Amino acid sequence: MELLDSSVDLQEVQKLEGHADRVWGLAWNPAPHNCGGASAMLASCSGDKTLRIWQMGPTHHLDCSTILEDTHTRTVRSCAWSPCGKFLATASFDSTTAIWKYVGGDFECVATLEGHENEVKSVTWSSSGTFLATCSRDKTVWIWEVQPGDEYDCVAVLQGHSQDVKMVQWHPLVDVLVSVSYDNSIKVWAEDGDSDDWHCVQTLNEGSSGHTSTVWSVAFNSSGDRMVTSSDDLTLKIWDTSSAISQTDTEGFASWRHICTLSGYHGRTIFSAHWSSEGVIASGAGDDALCLFVEEKGNSVEEPSYRLLLKKEKAHDMDINSVRWNPKDQRILASASDDGTIKIWELREIS
Amino acid sequence: MDPKSNNLNDFLEESVLLDESQYQEGFKDGYKDGLVSGKEEGREVGLNAGFQVGEELGFYQGCVDVWNSAMQIDPDAFTSRVRKNIAQLKTLIDAFPLLEPENENVQEMMDSIRLKFRVVCANLRVRLEYEGQPNSLNKDSEDM
Repeated sequence: MELLDSSVDLQEVQKLEGHADRVWGLAWNPAPHNCGGASAMLASCSGDKTLRIWQMGPTHHLDCSTILEDTHTRTVRSCAWSPCGKFLATASFDSTTAIWKYVGGDFECVATLEGHENEVKSVTWSSSGTFLATCSRDKTVWIWEVQPGDEYDCVAVLQGHSQDVKMVQWHPLVDVLVSVSYDNSIKVWAEDGDSDDWHCVQTLNEGSSGHTSTVWSVAFNSSGDRMVTSSDDLTLKIWDTSSAISQTDTEGFASWRHICTLSGYHGRTIFSAHWSSEGVIASGAGDDALCLFVEEKGNSVEEPSYRLLLKKEKAHDMDINSVRWNPKDQRILASASDDGTIKIWELREIS
Repeated sequence: MDPKSNNLNDFLEESVLLDESQYQEGFKDGYKDGLVSGKEEGREVGLNAGFQVGEELGFYQGCVDVWNSAMQIDPDAFTSRVRKNIAQLKTLIDAFPLLEPENENVQEMMDSIRLKFRVVCANLRVRLEYEGQPNSLNKDSEDM
């Protein structure tokens, strides 16, 4: 179903309040039926040091069902669900990453990953469920392997970025990791064979048509052949990552390349970007606005291009830190802001 | 020739020459003293830097020795991954060119050792440090 810009609107359907400080991150449970059968489950993490879990009840509204507190001693900066939906990882400024397990209606902290020297900025679970990755202001990226019995082994500590690493994200299909940093670069990490030997296979920086300021976020499309990054340089960049799927050796990842730059849509740092399973890119920025972009289906001979589908000014009262599409309902978008609220939006076609 | 002007020039020339020769003498004395003092200071700085590197490497070597001893007593004390990492750490430490402070790879090699040590510690769930351990980080302010 093609989305034409004149016939769509982003409607606010719910506002979730409760956090006592800015909301930093959001994560939709990819398999909520494994957690007591809710039709939707959203985790949110905040400067108030807690993580909240919101569940969709019979009223089709999200209600706060759990507050995970008294574990992290500082801001919880990022959260991520395991592919099976039963585990949740929370990354905190207190330099630890906690792993929570859904046990009989509640979440229990079953492990704490320590090792970073200071604030952990992001955590991501590989789609194979085998690996977790974290990154920190200490400039390193850590890769952990999930072991039986809720144990986590540190597999590698990767150095390469020269500054604070803002976010890490696993490729949706293969165990390839991307990290983005205050040093303006995007790095791609892969394992050589099966030997715990992870190294940087590609760096996308200014010379590769990359960003000219801090890169804040990275997201893949569902087929894994495209990646979007957002930056303090006020642009979003789309990258061709198709070689990750077509080639099995590490050389394949060295050929990711820039396709398109979207500029002029946000007047402030773009903190987050996310790709829906339908191919709509959502972005949230320091200008309090939300933008949606789709691929321009035109001349297949030329380089793919993307166009603005719509812009929602003043989507929040303050900076938008995170935008996330619901993987189970591709027209539902959640946004989190410095204003302490989370908003749920529905992309509707207007007749 | 003006005898009066000659006298004037000679008079000035003597002071200039005196000034010059005093400068030369002073310079020679200063250079000699500076050389001695510089060598002393250099030796002290070298001693401190050498001590720091030796102390850090010695610390890692000490940890490796203890872990190896533990493994001799109980071969199953650690997982195969930890055993492999400890062995890799030992190789890195052994390869460090202690007697080549000018070797341009020393910083990189020390970084690799530090990283490998952190992996082992993370897997053993311990935080091992010693007083005065150099930190690769700066005390910069928290950002978001």
